[in-house]
Amino acid sequence: MNLAVYIGRRVLLLPVMLVGITLLTFVLSHAVPADPVAANLGEQAAANPEVVAAFRHQWGLDRSPPQQYLIYVWRLLHGDMGTSISTHQAVATDLGQDLPATVELAFAAMLISLAVGIPLGIVAGVRRDTAVDQISRSGSLIGVSMPVFWLGLVALLIFYAWLGWAPSAGQLSPRLSRPPAVTNFVVIDALLAGEADVARDALSHLVLPALVLSAYSIGVITRMMRGSMLDVLGEDYVRTARAKGLPALRVTLRHAARNALLPVITIVGLSFGGLLSGAVITETVFAWPGLGSYAFRSATSLDFPAIMGVGIVVASVYVFANLLVDVAYAVADPRIRMG
Amino acid sequence: MTQGTVKSQRPAAVDVAPARGTLTRRNLVAAAAAGAAAAAMGALRRGTTALGAAASSRDTVVMAPSYVIRSLDPGHTLEPLGEMICHATYDALVTLNGEDLSNPRPHVAASWNVTGGGRLYTFTLRRDIRFASGNPLTSADVKWSFERVMNLKSNPAFFLDNVAAVTAPDPYTVVLRLRDPQPSIIPILSNGALGIVDSKTAAAQGADAGPDAASRDHAEGYLNSHSLGGGAFILESHTPNQEVVLARNPRHWRGAPSIARVVIKNIPEASTQALGLERGDLDVATGLGLSNAQTLSRVPSVTIKNSLIAASFVMMVNTDPELSGSLANPKIIQAIRYALDYDGILKIAGPGAVRMAGVIPNNLAGALDPREAVKTDRDRAKALIRESGIASPRGRMNYASDQTSFGIQYPIMAQKLQADLAAVGITVELNGLPGAVALGEYRAAKAPALFGGYVADYPDATDFLVYLPGRLVGKRLRWPATASAAAGELAHWGDQAEQEADARARVALLQKAQRRLLEIGPYIPLFTPALPWGYRADLRGVTFNSVWGTDFFTVKRT
Repeated sequence: MNLAVYIGRRVLLLPVMLVGITLLTFVLSHAVPADPVAANLGEQAAANPEVVAAFRHQWGLDRSPPQQYLIYVWRLLHGDMGTSISTHQAVATDLGQDLPATVELAFAAMLISLAVGIPLGIVAGVRRDTAVDQISRSGSLIGVSMPVFWLGLVALLIFYAWLGWAPSAGQLSPRLSRPPAVTNFVVIDALLAGEADVARDALSHLVLPALVLSAYSIGVITRMMRGSMLDVLGEDYVRTARAKGLPALRVTLRHAARNALLPVITIVGLSFGGLLSGAVITETVFAWPGLGSYAFRSATSLDFPAIMGVGIVVASVYVFANLLVDVAYAVADPRIRMG
Repeated sequence: MTQGTVKSQRPAAVDVAPARGTLTRRNLVAAAAAGAAAAAMGALRRGTTALGAAASSRDTVVMAPSYVIRSLDPGHTLEPLGEMICHATYDALVTLNGEDLSNPRPHVAASWNVTGGGRLYTFTLRRDIRFASGNPLTSADVKWSFERVMNLKSNPAFFLDNVAAVTAPDPYTVVLRLRDPQPSIIPILSNGALGIVDSKTAAAQGADAGPDAASRDHAEGYLNSHSLGGGAFILESHTPNQEVVLARNPRHWRGAPSIARVVIKNIPEASTQALGLERGDLDVATGLGLSNAQTLSRVPSVTIKNSLIAASFVMMVNTDPELSGSLANPKIIQAIRYALDYDGILKIAGPGAVRMAGVIPNNLAGALDPREAVKTDRDRAKALIRESGIASPRGRMNYASDQTSFGIQYPIMAQKLQADLAAVGITVELNGLPGAVALGEYRAAKAPALFGGYVADYPDATDFLVYLPGRLVGKRLRWPATASAAAGELAHWGDQAEQEADARARVALLQKAQRRLLEIGPYIPLFTPALPWGYRADLRGVTFNSVWGTDFFTVKRT
């Protein structure tokens, strides 16, 4: 099947999947045995039926669940994701505000993971059972098994509190003003505003949380790349390339590593989705105002429109990540055809 | 630690030049790794420079509170942080001085008098107050602001439940006509949610104070990002869930505050707050937690305080045996009181927490003397169990498993209560629930027994009459005023205390009611908590008041 047709089909399936996601999220969030009134109204206000009725009416909670769902989907089809009960802002505005912070963090973490994990995996595979391999395997194991919460706090303690190399938690130094919001990517907004110092400050704040968030992915990518390299290095075509007298670096990088990358691409795609949706702990430790924190707050305050919005965004990210993985497969190995 | 010290600790630049001119696998990997490290370090170093430059702005105060903001509109706000910001940006008729909750003082109201049998409160307003917009503050603004709170029917509406009418006979006189006498209306009026709004400007932004305000008012969005008050600060920006920035109001009637800018940051993790305070990136932190506060108490550049909070932590039992089983038996409730190890409970509650004899917090007039509190006596507890005739008393206790308030971790406290009760033969099964679920069960009167705290909505002991039969908490424990003659009498004493104008007589009534409550009520009073919090030692005038937190007007940097 032609790649363009395949992509077109997948994109067309997206709305159907999203409707399924909204239904699932709606049912799950309404199945929780708790009432948004309890989470959002004070003790005295919740005891006043008039106040409770006004609250339910304001947020459409006085309608039956099926009605609430249909109204939500109807509005969604018109581009309205509703209004957050907690922030009183449009959910789309909230997401537009918080998602870029997570994208920034996840993107930086993924870049670090790839920059460290792939070379380390290649070296460990090529230098099997040497000291380099042992160190890389131990490092990967530590990266995969270390709780992010603990790692984040230790990193802050050492690099911020003790050594003073890293700046404080947050996206910017507390005394700096945020640049005017244009894209909500702080670095980009700072550059657009001509505030180079603020952009640099924002970048410096990104390094430590991105390193911490990347620890797990580095571990996974390194191990996957190493294993894959070991498989590929034993293949006939690699032996042939060596027998032809090609330089070792060329054999390793062009013949072995390129083919060994295929399973890694899958992991990278899924990891990126995981980084976007699962950065909540890193975001909490580093006071990073991203999607993870927003999702947590929405869930604990039973902010249904926000929960639905997060569900849609995370599902879309996974769908697109998988699509990109498929496309990357085809690019990395032209023998693969879509079907 | 100064920024100069930070600079001296920066690492030397990383040399990324390859050892040889030829590119080998080994030096390719080494160069890549070194390049990445150098880039990261470079960014860190430059970032530290930017931080150092920023930290020199000494007239900015950066605070990390327990960050929950549902609204910054005075007509809707109730949670502590929202009230702190409203207190800074809107002036109320009366105010309190720092942590002193017992002496409301004139503020926008220069004076007041009470007539009509305690039902008419006449306030004379100051004539020199202007809103940040430049409009003068008059009685029309007070009337409009109060009517808006009442008619919006939102969180703070209950503050004015007893107000029958607000009138403005002249531009600087406001009269509140109450349905029943209520001396607590004065401390209630100190609340940030009852700050006076610039009615003309607010109306132009879609605010409405009429009877249909609940459906006609559309100003909350605007008021979440702009303040329309005359307070010492102006809301400069609000990024939901991230930060609030307040700027000094140069027109403020008491004179411009010493601090030019206040940045209130959302830093959810207690340890991150502690590190920021220690390093000087934060000036005030109120979400430190007990262990971090103890560690920071050894840091000379940080002042740690434990401020008593107007809150009462109690264990309570549903009076319906269908729900709470044998725990509802009055003898078993008495046995629980004697079984608990209060010294151990206070250790978990943290430094500054005080044993509470009744249900009114120790820092409010009307509290019982802590020396009256029940002492641990396990033999007596066992004797009471025997008197009950119940061989193996048992029941279930709910608690919010994800909640920490004032540094108190609910799961640890619940386990302590369980262990103490097990020591005398009372079996309590712990039922840890997510906060919203636990709250929902309690409000639906379905919690069998529970541990939790009630925090004052306003600084007056009568707020804690909620524990009486037929009132807010009593109802949730299925304890109506009609439960018994004694319960009915207790409820009546509560009504009397609420209306009593004489302060001494009021205190006597409140104390009598609490003693009766301990005889017949389903409560086991535990403690009044203290908040562990800290600030940089170069700040002066920093206080933490449990109703509105910190008053930034009094904060100065030395």
